[in-house]
Amino acid sequence: MIEVEGLTKRYGSFTAVEGLSFAVRPGEVLGLVGPNGAGKTTTLRSLAGIIPMSSGTVRVAGHDLARDPVAAKRELAFFPDEPRLFEYLTVRQHLTFVARVYGVADYEALSAPLLEELELADKADVLPGELSRGMKQKLVIACGLLHSPQVMFFDEPLTGLDPIGIRRMKDSIVRRARAGAAIVLSSHLLHLLEEVCTNVLILKTGHKVADGTLADVAAQFSHGEPNVSLEEVFMRATGGSES
Amino acid sequence: MLGALLYLRLTSLANLVLFRLRRLRQPKYLAGTAAAVAYFYYFVLRRASSAWGMSGSAMGVTPAAGATPLFIIVAIGFVLSALALVRIAFAWVSPAESPGFRFTEAEIAFLFPAPIPRKTLIHYRLLSAQVAILFTSALIALVFNRGGALGGHRVFRMLGWWIILSIFDLHVNGTKLTLSALRERSAHFLRWRVAAVTAIVLYAVAVCGSAFAVLSRFTDGGDFSSRTLDRATGTLLASPAFHWLSLPFRVIFGPYLARGTGEFLAALLPALVLFALHYAWVLNTQASFEEGSIALAEKRAAAKAAAVRGEFPGARAKPKPQSGPFPLRPVGPPEVAFLWKNLLSMRSVLFSRRVLLIFALLLVWLTVALGGLLSQLTAPGRGDVIAHLIVVFCCIIGGYTVVFGPQLARQDLRSDLQNADLLKTYPIEGWRLALGELLAPTVLLSVILWSVIFIAAAALGAGDPIEWLGPGRRITAAVCLALMAPFLCLIQLIVPNTIMVLFPSWYQASRSRAGGIEMFGQRMIFGLVQVLFTVLVVVPAGGWAVVVWVCTMHPLGQAGGVIVGSFSAIVILGAEAAVGLWWLGERFAAFDVSTEQR
Repeated sequence: MIEVEGLTKRYGSFTAVEGLSFAVRPGEVLGLVGPNGAGKTTTLRSLAGIIPMSSGTVRVAGHDLARDPVAAKRELAFFPDEPRLFEYLTVRQHLTFVARVYGVADYEALSAPLLEELELADKADVLPGELSRGMKQKLVIACGLLHSPQVMFFDEPLTGLDPIGIRRMKDSIVRRARAGAAIVLSSHLLHLLEEVCTNVLILKTGHKVADGTLADVAAQFSHGEPNVSLEEVFMRATGGSES
Repeated sequence: MLGALLYLRLTSLANLVLFRLRRLRQPKYLAGTAAAVAYFYYFVLRRASSAWGMSGSAMGVTPAAGATPLFIIVAIGFVLSALALVRIAFAWVSPAESPGFRFTEAEIAFLFPAPIPRKTLIHYRLLSAQVAILFTSALIALVFNRGGALGGHRVFRMLGWWIILSIFDLHVNGTKLTLSALRERSAHFLRWRVAAVTAIVLYAVAVCGSAFAVLSRFTDGGDFSSRTLDRATGTLLASPAFHWLSLPFRVIFGPYLARGTGEFLAALLPALVLFALHYAWVLNTQASFEEGSIALAEKRAAAKAAAVRGEFPGARAKPKPQSGPFPLRPVGPPEVAFLWKNLLSMRSVLFSRRVLLIFALLLVWLTVALGGLLSQLTAPGRGDVIAHLIVVFCCIIGGYTVVFGPQLARQDLRSDLQNADLLKTYPIEGWRLALGELLAPTVLLSVILWSVIFIAAAALGAGDPIEWLGPGRRITAAVCLALMAPFLCLIQLIVPNTIMVLFPSWYQASRSRAGGIEMFGQRMIFGLVQVLFTVLVVVPAGGWAVVVWVCTMHPLGQAGGVIVGSFSAIVILGAEAAVGLWWLGERFAAFDVSTEQR
């Protein structure tokens, strides 16, 4: 569903991500981890087509992101860590707008249960300025899910959510994956990865340090020790320092 | 502790200067600085030097010293005093819920929870304000006193302004704190305010009354010559009542209005004493300022963010939900969705209470200012003059709409820059996204142009019609111009949007009120680019239209030639718009704001 080969992103002489290759199949949840400045957000933004890659190829649901960005973007949804909304559009108007952009003909039938699920039904005619940060995050999620994407990218998905919101978000990610979506999420919260992810990719200074299932990566860095926690694996993989 | 705070202020200032200097390594900032420096040199410094004379400018002494009539100097002082008094009265009439000092959000986050005494914080704030006041004083002295109309030394002018602005700033702050203290502690807050306002009004009446009593003796005969007014002013200043009543303001304005070194030094001492008294008043008034400072910092941060987004600072009240401008179906061209979205947000901005108030005031002003003129012109037999005035007025509005409209109607990519990441995930080709984003301001500007075109066409037919411009030709020309208008507006809107995508940090920073000299220069460059583009766009299309018209007017007639010529111009404008949209779309697809932040 997501195939990445040799993804490289440079900013002038600075290389943020170099030669990154991995794949995420339907039903898999890949956790992208790494110290601050490792290139996680750059990777996610490149995968979502927000910033152009310097080199490499990304295929989303079979569509080459560089050659056919419109087809690729039709299949994906990106959820940023900071909810970005249109100031003058109400919750309902956001969904109307997004439906037109993605051409979701039956959006009214889809949006009602989505708003119910995300507890936004009673806020449908409210502007973003009147919503809490968690509510805004939920609206971003509702907009992202409206066109039933096959591929989803989450950047720090639990930021700003309350405990109930965190629980629901985790359940939602797992449920979407079970329904066949390919998901990539970046987070510093290692317990989230342990609970939600099937695979993990550790980045350091823009390079892949480890990639595989949680068990594979744990085995790679446990050096034969039993019951090594993901935190310990992370510390060993990254050398315990920032990029 | 004050040492640490001064370290913060001075280090920040030094780093700001260094940052600005380092930024000059980038050509765009260097170009902006060069443009601004050239402007200041040619239009301010050079004029000031030539006005003051080379020897005079070297010494800073005005050759025209003492030439300004006394009554003008006193009148200036009187007007400034009246304005200051109105501001102070307003503070008593409408006191802030919680007064605050100007701290930044970072200062509040670091300094308020720190173990810093309250007085030290106020010291810090007052000293910080001095940097801005000194800069403002120097600028005012340089720009407004460049002709040396008041005479005197330019350094004295600057120090004079510094005294005026500092005491005024301290007085306003002192009043706010006093009001806050009264609100917190006195059960008779309203009575205190009524008493203060009454005292201010009585004082103003007493000053005006004493002045009127003296001046009327000289001007009752209808003699308003400079000499008479000077004599009257001299008598007024010598009269005991006015002398004592105007004492506080004479002390404040003394150094500024001094016309020689001796006069200045004599005026400086009492002014500094008044300054010190005000400083002590602000420092020792026990009133909380923390909440007000936090609210003020948040408000300023919001205004700054709005300005960076390209909105009028403070132009918007808190937005309210609005119904869509038209029903948006879920299926169809996505450009329409952007038009719908931007029209919706435009409605909130255009019809905000503040903007409507400005329009209402403008209307009142126009009615008052032009009422007399219009009543004269509407007299029988003057219809042609009105018609010509309307045509000229329409041409001016049309020209402004084309050249400056794109800088004002910004509900497009410029207002959506913060959502760039989101927009780029949409499954839409770049040019379609660009077109969708530009549609709303294009519609707005086109409607304005259509209005002025048809009003002008109608006005040309009223009164004394131009013989060769019959109704048929007028309507043909108006329709042709109206058809061209949307293309012209679209191209004009592509220019600032493309500049923003090419130089996002440059462009957004230039929207902010803050910034250094290079920002001023950058704004000038943007303005020049916009005007240049107008010419570049209009000349080929207009030139080609004329060529086609000349070639076709004989076989097709005048109207036929105009129609064919106009359509050929529309084709050129359409092609220019298509290329511009494609280019803008491609640039937006490749646009990465994070590159600018590195």
